[in-house]
Amino acid sequence: MTDAFTRADLRALIASARASLRVMRRYPTQWIGQIFWPVLLPAVWVLIGQAYSGGGDPRAMDAFAARSGTTGITVFIFVGYAMYMWLSTLLWGPGTELRRNQMTGTLEAIFLTPVSRLVPLFGPTLTTVIWTAFQLGVMSIAVWLLFGIVLPWQGALLSLLVVVASLPAMYAVGALFAASVLKFGETGPIVQFVRGMLSLLCGITFPIVMLPGWAQAVATAMPPTYVVASMRDALLKDASPLDLLPSVLILFALALVFGVLAITVFRVLERSARRTGMLGRY
Amino acid sequence: MDELRAAVAIARKDIRNLSRYRLVVGSMIFTPLYQGVLPGLLFGASFAVAGRVVGLEKTIGTDDLSGFIFFGGVISSLVATAFWAMGMSFRNEQEMGTLEPTWLTPTSKSTLVIGRALGGMFWLVFSQIAIFSVGILFFGLRVRWEMLYALPALVLATIALVGLAHLLAAIVLSIRDANLFIDCTNFLFATASGVAFPVSFLPGVLQPIAFALPTTYATDILRQHALGTRPLLDPVLEYAALVVSTIVMFPIGRWAFSAAERRMRVRGTIGQY
Repeated sequence: MTDAFTRADLRALIASARASLRVMRRYPTQWIGQIFWPVLLPAVWVLIGQAYSGGGDPRAMDAFAARSGTTGITVFIFVGYAMYMWLSTLLWGPGTELRRNQMTGTLEAIFLTPVSRLVPLFGPTLTTVIWTAFQLGVMSIAVWLLFGIVLPWQGALLSLLVVVASLPAMYAVGALFAASVLKFGETGPIVQFVRGMLSLLCGITFPIVMLPGWAQAVATAMPPTYVVASMRDALLKDASPLDLLPSVLILFALALVFGVLAITVFRVLERSARRTGMLGRY
Repeated sequence: MDELRAAVAIARKDIRNLSRYRLVVGSMIFTPLYQGVLPGLLFGASFAVAGRVVGLEKTIGTDDLSGFIFFGGVISSLVATAFWAMGMSFRNEQEMGTLEPTWLTPTSKSTLVIGRALGGMFWLVFSQIAIFSVGILFFGLRVRWEMLYALPALVLATIALVGLAHLLAAIVLSIRDANLFIDCTNFLFATASGVAFPVSFLPGVLQPIAFALPTTYATDILRQHALGTRPLLDPVLEYAALVVSTIVMFPIGRWAFSAAERRMRVRGTIGQY
């Protein structure tokens, strides 16, 4: 019986991912944004970096290197923005999927099916892997075409492994956000706020040593911090797989913590929504 | 006089509408702070030597990082008002189904843009006062009275942007995915105006575009007076270029808007998007 339910849930999970894929295919203009933003946003910050460094003034560059461990501003920024784009995809996509279902009136219908509640929570997140992979490819090409930087293939490969290893942790963060959305209602400003806070804490555009001590402590509990730091180490400091192992282990642990938290929050909020009749209201 | 009353009524309606969404009003103040100001300040400070942003000083003639960011933010918000509050608002009305009744009133269509401009300017001034207060209290922002000398440049840039908003409204009413268009072009326009870095850092092929925008000169004139930055060109030349680009941009926008309106009336597409 349990086996049958597991198989059914798995089928529902795949069906949910296929539904998201189909929606993705129906809106081809989304691809324009998926090329425009991953290229232009970091490119502008690289130019800001050039302005702030006085066009590469040695004193300014030394100061930056002392704080970030590198003078490679371009790769530093592009890696940070790869995470920013991933967070955007996670928060705007699956993070708001429950809310979209609520607005289109399909959430109640989904909740009436006998599948596990984890299916609507995690199902839509599966397709974001496609966006994330696409964005990483676009950004690697942009770094090369716009700034003439060819990423070292060992570093690129290791970065890709870091991304794969961080998938559970990142999607657990996305699921936690998605669950909370059931409570808040209007999602736009909340997505902006959460993404903004995570961007600030995890050192998207600046080294996290620039943050005050308490903020650095919070940053150590956030999966994106480790992903960004590991990718920068792999691409800018020739780190070996062994060097990155501790970060990967922490990412697995955080995946567990955020995953359990997401499921718990979702169950509590779902129960409350059923009692108050909030599922269909927005 | 009737047109003025209509414009004021549109502005009052826009102000009342937005004031009902307190979270959105709050985010007008906080979003620029945590998405632009804070990352910019921390990024800039990571290049600092003994507390001085020597690189920025070499680039623009002053190491006043917070001033550079906050005054760039003024022009950035002005541009965003033209793109979102004026240009994009026509699509919002289209989606709500209120554009056709509005269009049927005897008001000039241009008054619809100008009314939105007034409403947008109200929120711009409100949010900038709040953002600057936060800047002065927490980020060491210093405000000099000499910045008032830049007011004529800001007024000219605003007139140019109202012209641009006519053009944007014409495009928004003619295309399907207006949101993506406005989002991308707003970003490009603000970047090319030098709000985040001096336009001299743009790649060579993009610099002529930057120098064709009135907001590039308004940004530079504002920073010269408010921060004492080195000018991009001779200030007299900058004013001349600002006046010329405003004179060019305003009628082009009006013409495009009239053409789009005529086309929509002929084709009956005013309610379609």
